[in-house]
Amino acid sequence: MDLRNPNRDPNSRRVLYRTNKEENRKELKHVKIDESTLAQEGKKLDLPKKRFYRQRAHSNPFSDHQLDYPTSPDDMNWSKLFPHYYDSTTGKMTKDVTIADIGCGFGGLLIDLSPAFPEDLILGMEIRVQVTNYVEDRIIALRTNHAKDYQYQNINVIRGNAMKFLPNFFQRAQLSKMFFCFPDPHFKQRKHKARIITNTLLSEYAYVLKDNGVIYTITDVEDLHNWMVKHLEEHPLFERYDKEWEDNDKCVQIMRNATEEGKKVERKKGDKFVACFRRLPNPAIV
Amino acid sequence: MSLIHPIQAVVSNRSGELIFAVLKNVIIAYRYDQTNGKYLEMGKWEDQFSRDEMIKIAVVKEQARQLAENEEKGIKKSKTNEGNTIEKKHDAKIPVPGPGAPPIYSQIRNLMISNDETMLLACADSDKSVLVFKIETLNNDNCLKLIKRQPFPKRPNAITITEDDKTVIIADKFGDVYSMLIESPVIENIDEEFEPILGHVSMLTGVLSTTNNGMKFVMTSDRDEHIKISHFPQSYIVDKWLFGHKEFVSSICIPSWNSNILVSAGGDHGIFLWDWIKGEKLDEFDFTDLVLPYINENHLAPDRFQNEENDLKEFAVSKLVSLPNNPYFAFFVEATKLLIILEVDQSTYKMKLLQKIVLPYYITFISTFSDDKTMGFNISLDNRESGDKDFVKFIALDTTSNTFSIKEEQSDEFNTSIVNSFSKEDSIVKVELDEVYPLYNIISLKKHGEHYS
Ligand SMILES: C[S@@+](CC[C@H](N)C(=O)[O-])C[C@H]1O[C@@H](n2cnc3c(N)ncnc32)[C@H](O)[C@@H]1O
Repeated sequence: MDLRNPNRDPNSRRVLYRTNKEENRKELKHVKIDESTLAQEGKKLDLPKKRFYRQRAHSNPFSDHQLDYPTSPDDMNWSKLFPHYYDSTTGKMTKDVTIADIGCGFGGLLIDLSPAFPEDLILGMEIRVQVTNYVEDRIIALRTNHAKDYQYQNINVIRGNAMKFLPNFFQRAQLSKMFFCFPDPHFKQRKHKARIITNTLLSEYAYVLKDNGVIYTITDVEDLHNWMVKHLEEHPLFERYDKEWEDNDKCVQIMRNATEEGKKVERKKGDKFVACFRRLPNPAIV
Repeated sequence: MSLIHPIQAVVSNRSGELIFAVLKNVIIAYRYDQTNGKYLEMGKWEDQFSRDEMIKIAVVKEQARQLAENEEKGIKKSKTNEGNTIEKKHDAKIPVPGPGAPPIYSQIRNLMISNDETMLLACADSDKSVLVFKIETLNNDNCLKLIKRQPFPKRPNAITITEDDKTVIIADKFGDVYSMLIESPVIENIDEEFEPILGHVSMLTGVLSTTNNGMKFVMTSDRDEHIKISHFPQSYIVDKWLFGHKEFVSSICIPSWNSNILVSAGGDHGIFLWDWIKGEKLDEFDFTDLVLPYINENHLAPDRFQNEENDLKEFAVSKLVSLPNNPYFAFFVEATKLLIILEVDQSTYKMKLLQKIVLPYYITFISTFSDDKTMGFNISLDNRESGDKDFVKFIALDTTSNTFSIKEEQSDEFNTSIVNSFSKEDSIVKVELDEVYPLYNIISLKKHGEHYS
């Protein structure tokens, strides 16, 4: 066995599991799952097991990964991710993605948002390959097991580096909500540029958000919370919502407990810091 | 036998009379004398900023930072037996490059002249600074007077100046864009006091500023195929992206004869012409067939990306320029001798080949000159094998035949002046063949997606 990389051992359980799931994924990822699929198969799919998808905790957002991304938002083929919303007679999508979960991790938020926003298409973006595979497998299983009432057709995940390629996926003002749940803290001063919320990135997020769209942030790291609040407050295109708004917003409730990171923090009885911001209309151009 | 270092960059004012060239870490200025057809040396400037000094400053700073960080974390300082804290006082160590360490090249980059032709701008690798020179044409000793040297946190990769010549916009290697007023005093603590006005999470390769319909814009290009257009000074408002490149972008320009047009090139084997106001690509000119005969062993892909036949070649556009008053563009592919001049049809916006010019050596740089009497290109060459000849070639348009041709006599005069300026054996720009600075860095921007996880 290759000690440096246990994944290379072709007989390891993890590799066998991953290969099996990959075949499954290739076959099921883009098919339109409905009742007939269920009848045909006649069986339920097991939900994927997280331990087989372990991966290094961090992926460098600056390096050039092998990524698949469209040359422009016009070139994006959404029908593969949301086959249920593809109209084959017109060749067009019946809906566009309006909610994005940036750095979605293992996908807990997507799954809870799905029934809460049945009229929206919701996309998770995640940079780590294995983690993305897990979310894909999870969604395939959920779609298959709930094929009867077409549940979970409105969520999916994409492997991508949101800090570089978000504008390749989304048109100007396409999104109404963006979630940043428990982002990597990058504690060291020198690494602050690696944070997913910076002055300069916020201008790109503002571009894909429509007026009055919302940026949701939550973290258990107080420093990071203060930092995100500072940068969002400083940015001319964002304005913070007050406590009352937060308390009445259903997404805030969902986001507190839906994600895997959020659950971990809950178990450890850690703090959770929430801040939400409204996308202001562009001011007059001078 | 030593040689005078090839010229890495050459620019002139609009008339072509004032010429500035970079050799290694030296900028030299000449004036063309109409009466005798000779080039007179007007000034010279050498970057004497020592790299060691730079590293020392960085090391001291880093030590201070770490100390502060430890203090914050409450890490106990080491104590003597008597319980007094030991103050570490030794000098900052400068890391000495070990044997086989890559040599350090302190280049001068991004040479450009202000719109009013009174200032020369450049960047120095040594301290990652932007240099602003006043061009004192009446000063016979040295026309280059350094009026500002502003270091930046990361190496400036591209710069531009606003139309009013008041602000320099700087795009750095790590994706940040800064704006600097020429008049304002130098900022010492750049890390803390300079906030980027916009940014990409990618290496930046180009920056332009322009005014259209009363609105000001900044265009930035990067290694991840992006061209982003932002408002200015409201740079937090992104206007749009121009999508279409499938490889890195290395060069962008906006012709002054139509400021709605933007032309871009890089790792793709085509020149892209855009209506950037509408955000539409209007045309793409595929140059593969034109360039292939000039592709050579320098274009072989690096070993780790090479194929089994060992014949994979990779090439990219190094620089693209537009003539200010005529619908002509010129560009060259890195490490080739071929200059390609394109003409744009101003009603259909289609590009077509106007002319190919083969130069005696690989081209290292191209810039333009253009006024009511003359127009054309300043070209510098990798003349390391020439025996100190052919540093530059001036190419001018003959308006009667509408063709461009090399002004051999004038070019030779310039080369003579270079030799006169630098021929002394102890001259700072004299090098051995293997000491020539790397002149072909553009293709290294090509992505091979080497990070899998
Ligand atoms: C600490 S996890 C939180 C995951 C999830 N939101 C949750 O709350 O459970 C942060 C995630 O962001 C992902 N990430 C970091 N940088 C990213 C980027 N530039 N683009 C997409 N995902 C990124 C990481 O791979 C990681 O899975």
